[in-house]
Amino acid sequence: MSLLFDKTKDVAKTLLPVVALVLFISFVIVDVETDVIIRFIVGSVLLLIGLTIFLWGVDLAMNPIGEHMSMEVATSKSPIKIAILSFFLGFLITVAEPDLLILGDQVEGASGGTLKSFIIVYMVSIGVGVMVSLGIFRLLRNKRLNMFMAITYGIILVLAILVSQEFLAIAFDASGATTGALTTPFVLALSLGLSNVKGGKNTEENSFGLVGIMSAGPILAVMLLSIITRQKHIQGDAGEYIFQKGVLGPILDAIPQLFIESLLALLPITILFFIFNFTKFKIKKGEMITIIKGLIFTLIGLVIFLTAVNSGFMDMGRILGMEIAKMNKGLLIGLGFALGLIVVLVEPAVHVLGEQIEEVTGGHIPINLIRTTLSIGVGSAIALSMVRIVVPEVKLWYFLLPGFLIAIILSFKSNPVFVGIAYDAGGVASGPMTATFVLAFAQGAATRIDTANVLVDGFGVIAMVAMAPVLSIMILGTIFQRKKVVEHPHDIEDKETVAVAPTNMDDLYHDCLLVIVNRGYAENVVDVARQAGATGATIFHGRGTGDHHTVKLPIINIELQPEKEIVCLITGTDISADVASGLVKDSQLEQEGEIAVYISPTVAMIKNLKFDNNFLAD
Amino acid sequence: MISIETLFFTIVNRGKANAVLRKAKECGATGGTILLGEGTVQSKLLDIMGMTETRKEILIIPASGELDATLHEILSDTFKFSKRNKGIAFSVPFRRWTLDASEQEHNISLDDDRFSHCCLFTIVDKGRSKDCITSARAAGARGGTVIRGHGAGVPADSYFPLAIEPQKDTVLVITRKDKAAAIRERIFSDLELDKPGNGIIFTLPVSNTSGLVENRIQERKGGTP
Repeated sequence: MSLLFDKTKDVAKTLLPVVALVLFISFVIVDVETDVIIRFIVGSVLLLIGLTIFLWGVDLAMNPIGEHMSMEVATSKSPIKIAILSFFLGFLITVAEPDLLILGDQVEGASGGTLKSFIIVYMVSIGVGVMVSLGIFRLLRNKRLNMFMAITYGIILVLAILVSQEFLAIAFDASGATTGALTTPFVLALSLGLSNVKGGKNTEENSFGLVGIMSAGPILAVMLLSIITRQKHIQGDAGEYIFQKGVLGPILDAIPQLFIESLLALLPITILFFIFNFTKFKIKKGEMITIIKGLIFTLIGLVIFLTAVNSGFMDMGRILGMEIAKMNKGLLIGLGFALGLIVVLVEPAVHVLGEQIEEVTGGHIPINLIRTTLSIGVGSAIALSMVRIVVPEVKLWYFLLPGFLIAIILSFKSNPVFVGIAYDAGGVASGPMTATFVLAFAQGAATRIDTANVLVDGFGVIAMVAMAPVLSIMILGTIFQRKKVVEHPHDIEDKETVAVAPTNMDDLYHDCLLVIVNRGYAENVVDVARQAGATGATIFHGRGTGDHHTVKLPIINIELQPEKEIVCLITGTDISADVASGLVKDSQLEQEGEIAVYISPTVAMIKNLKFDNNFLAD
Repeated sequence: MISIETLFFTIVNRGKANAVLRKAKECGATGGTILLGEGTVQSKLLDIMGMTETRKEILIIPASGELDATLHEILSDTFKFSKRNKGIAFSVPFRRWTLDASEQEHNISLDDDRFSHCCLFTIVDKGRSKDCITSARAAGARGGTVIRGHGAGVPADSYFPLAIEPQKDTVLVITRKDKAAAIRERIFSDLELDKPGNGIIFTLPVSNTSGLVENRIQERKGGTP
């Protein structure tokens, strides 16, 4: 089974429920034109192909580029250079985002031309640049994410009181628009790369959170813009929506436009990478070819994916929204919940985030658990948005304000890894699927309910989708934390250095020590081993089980295996006994690290050691 | 069967390790550790498209001689290791080091005739695992599994007080003992491991295997693996 097949299966698994539910509704509950249904089915197939290729491209290109970039940022010797570099990274990836341009035009239209589209685009990009810059400083300085986000959202809450209801919605929508299909995987890779370069005990929790920080930038920028320009209200109505006719026509028509948009979005990252490669990293030819292949896959995949969503899903969403709103308001809320529940899993960034969580935690946090939580969060968000459309008295901030407040409070009680994941999830969930399909569903519903305003209610949906997963994953993190065995790390005791008598033994013969400890103790192992004379070590992350440490979460019945670190040491046969005994004797490692040391003889070739060609050959 | 303490390694497709571990526990194993890795596929077409990885999980179970034999038998039966791409298992004679036993002498030698296979570990800088597997293949190996890890921290010269943890790829290649030397040398010279800092390669003895391609060929011929 190749990885491509795995990926296709993975995407298909998340797409099938959506297709099944939508087809069920359109056959059983409402009456939908055959053209739209066929277009939806063709769109689903295209989506499957596009998303798979796109995710593959992200793996091949975005992740390595993110890693190289983060290396460049983290090893800079001056803080000014880091600040400028990270600002430009944030600024450039945002300014080219097609969704943001569309939003800018919408706001320009809605504000009667007082707010120019380009001002919004630049303000938002500057906001993202500043926040990415601050976020990278936070990561490298090792400041707590929950404190950082509490301050950021504190400012947002204060500003929220000053701005109008409409701008509150636009601000959150801008945040959703900037965390597009392309920027989110890139920023996730950047964040992962940075925390890997930085290393240390907090690698895991530092791997996440940058997307969350980044998506606060647009919110702040738009709110400030509203306050500075004293623009309070937006008028106007969404233009008359024209349904597309035919099956293949709309699909083919959409491609050129989307191709240019995708290319524009991909260009800044690509150009930046090539400039850096030319001046700084100079990577090898083989890796370069892989990255170029990856970039091409990313572009092709993105175009196919966006084509599928725009032409296959948008009309369908709108029709379903309109028809169901006409029939029964309770049904609208219920189906909104069901749609939100499954649609979020098709978001490209959700797949990317899931993979990263698995990599980073060595499989300790099950992807399915995160997906389920995301689903419930987004499902509730859509359902509540429908409530808001049906009942005009219910305002957006009724949900946003308490939602974020509770999330901030929980972030201090939650498992630190989850804080980053939760804030990232907000940006991750509000991707292209939400911006088209779900938004179209909500707007469709709003056109059929007299008291609803298509423009304002539409904007609010994305804000809700950006908030709800933050809250739901934060709750999950709090449960995780309470279930986790509390560890109290003590200071490392001073140890006597074991005297090593250098003996002249055959250079080839070494011992291989595999040391399995609980997460976080690998560094102690390396310290102790170094005192006993060992030199290098390689550390792997994994998960493991002893019977007494498995935690089971109630209801969903998922087994949580504790995280482990495996340290591989190659030592000379003369000192291996000392190293091994030193490790086993260390009381802290034994009691808290639950250390297990395994030893095997090995033939090692390290650096310039001479070796016998006939060795091992019978 | 050799009765020694071993670490029982299983390499299966991503997501299956938990099931294997559950089965192993039924057989009497006390626990295990799971690592994430990547395997390789050989296909010209996929190679051109850059899709040559499969996601794997590596499960390590401490086992004694008897349990080791049982695990080989039952796990390869339950999870069909004898079929292509279902997974492989091998045992490396690792001795658990405890305070009481620490004075024991090594009773295992690499040249032991009982060990028919070898496990080559190559630790190189991140991104060079592909070159490593290419070299191993050129010298007769079937494929390899890559595990991502990082080296122990070394302080870096930058504005922030960072300890840069260099990312490392560890390549695991299982091979018959007679091929091991050739593969080892090929990797050693191709990846220029003689230059300091380029990486290390070491060989571990393997006492028992199941699911290897060679085993399958033998089974087809009617011989015993």
